[in-house]
Amino acid sequence: MKSDPIKSLDPRVGRLPQTDNPTKQPLDQFSTFEVFVQPAPGKPFRHEGPVHAPGLEMAYVLAKEAFTRRFTCSSLFVADTHDVHVFAPDEQALPTDDAASKAMTPSTFEIFQLTKRGKQSVQTGAIEAASPQQALALAHQQCTAMPYAFWAIDRRAIRFTASEEQDFWQTLPDKKFRDAAAYKGGEKLQRFLDASR
Amino acid sequence: MYGGGITFDGAGADTLASEDPVRLQAFEARIERGEKIEPTDWMPALYRRQLIRMIEQHAHSEIIGALPEGTWITRAPGFKRKLSLMAKVQDEVGHAQLLYSAAETLGKTREEMITDLISGKSKYSNIFNYPAYTWADACFISWLVDAGAIVNQLANAKGSYGPYCRALERICAEESFHLKYGHHCVIYLAAGTQQQRAMFQEALNRWWPPMMHFFGPADKISDHTRILMKWKVKMATNDAMRNQFLDMYVPKIRELGFTIPDPMLAKNPETGVWDYTEPDWEEFKRVIQGDGPCNRERLDVRRIAEARGRWVREALRSPRAVYSMPLA
Repeated sequence: MKSDPIKSLDPRVGRLPQTDNPTKQPLDQFSTFEVFVQPAPGKPFRHEGPVHAPGLEMAYVLAKEAFTRRFTCSSLFVADTHDVHVFAPDEQALPTDDAASKAMTPSTFEIFQLTKRGKQSVQTGAIEAASPQQALALAHQQCTAMPYAFWAIDRRAIRFTASEEQDFWQTLPDKKFRDAAAYKGGEKLQRFLDASR
Repeated sequence: MYGGGITFDGAGADTLASEDPVRLQAFEARIERGEKIEPTDWMPALYRRQLIRMIEQHAHSEIIGALPEGTWITRAPGFKRKLSLMAKVQDEVGHAQLLYSAAETLGKTREEMITDLISGKSKYSNIFNYPAYTWADACFISWLVDAGAIVNQLANAKGSYGPYCRALERICAEESFHLKYGHHCVIYLAAGTQQQRAMFQEALNRWWPPMMHFFGPADKISDHTRILMKWKVKMATNDAMRNQFLDMYVPKIRELGFTIPDPMLAKNPETGVWDYTEPDWEEFKRVIQGDGPCNRERLDVRRIAEARGRWVREALRSPRAVYSMPLA
């Protein structure tokens, strides 16, 4: 079925080709990856949200665009959502090792805590453990003020920012056109109002 | 405003009767205490359904809202305006990403949401079904439509659903420059030539009626809000948000010497509330249902973009991928 071309004020829209009517299949938008941002050197990483991507490397590129385009950033990392292990102490029993994790070689896990509902998960340190379940149990054991949730991510599953990539964000402060303070119309408005009085 | 379709097809509040009363009470007590709801918590089906609908419509509005402004990037007057508008439009598309993810934590996949957008099943902000004839229309959108969106977003950021609040906090922080940029553009038109002033006045005449529709139907015809306000899904009534917008922006528009095309518009000295000519809700309904000047163009552009990008997504997709719902 061929329909009429689009009538638009923008001639480029009028020139768009006719296409079929797509219905999106599962995974057309890929799976999800979680994004963690360090706003300044020495500050803890914070969970910023997810991106959809076909793999870890593309997730890193898209995360950089979606979450570190506007505000200060010194480093960024991403991990597949499947690799972020969650434990909510109020609602779940203490995690125990499953068969898959018993076969793991020990590793270092990045630990995050969501201290209050509605806030962001914040990095609280790293723990050496034989499995993600053990890492979560240790984090829980070491904790005095109990958070809403713990997250543990095996470092081997993380796409970190390499040292030669750390200059990605150096030019952010120069992009004044994204800064509300760069749009001062007050004086121009005042001159206009004075003149029209 | 977003999620307002219930005015026309009912909130389904009857489903409440089938909820577990103990869990419902605990859920309501948590909201009462000012705590947020997180994706893993129990929630009533009506809460989940209405939030999906609202956040999804908000996300679609960011995507579709980028179209009328986006076509003005190449024709924006001067390099600086092009740079600003491009950054603003990029932000809007980024905001759609954040919002789709927040809705996704409630159990509707992004594929389903986009399919429902391009098939016309789910709605987006009605105002983007009107055309931007001149640069002044693009300026009206940047300043006043964004101002209206910010009134709504600041209210909703205090709502009860954690992922939506987190997305809105980031969105509000990013949008602070949009409003200033839009006002700056309008000041330059206002302080310009007679022709430039006339151009903005004409844009104001065209956009005022859709702007009054923007916050959704009057409270007297949209009466499903009580339970949604109790659950902090909706944080202010449509009329309250409309009134707040008028309070903040009518003086700023008049200060520039422009005339708002509504002779009835005045703040009532007794009630402190704005009086105005009743917006044409029949037109609002007609345009929402697909019969506006740009409905077809907006959805066609979106649909063609999906169809033309499909081969890229297929080439990138890993056969081993397994879907996972985002965490927060």
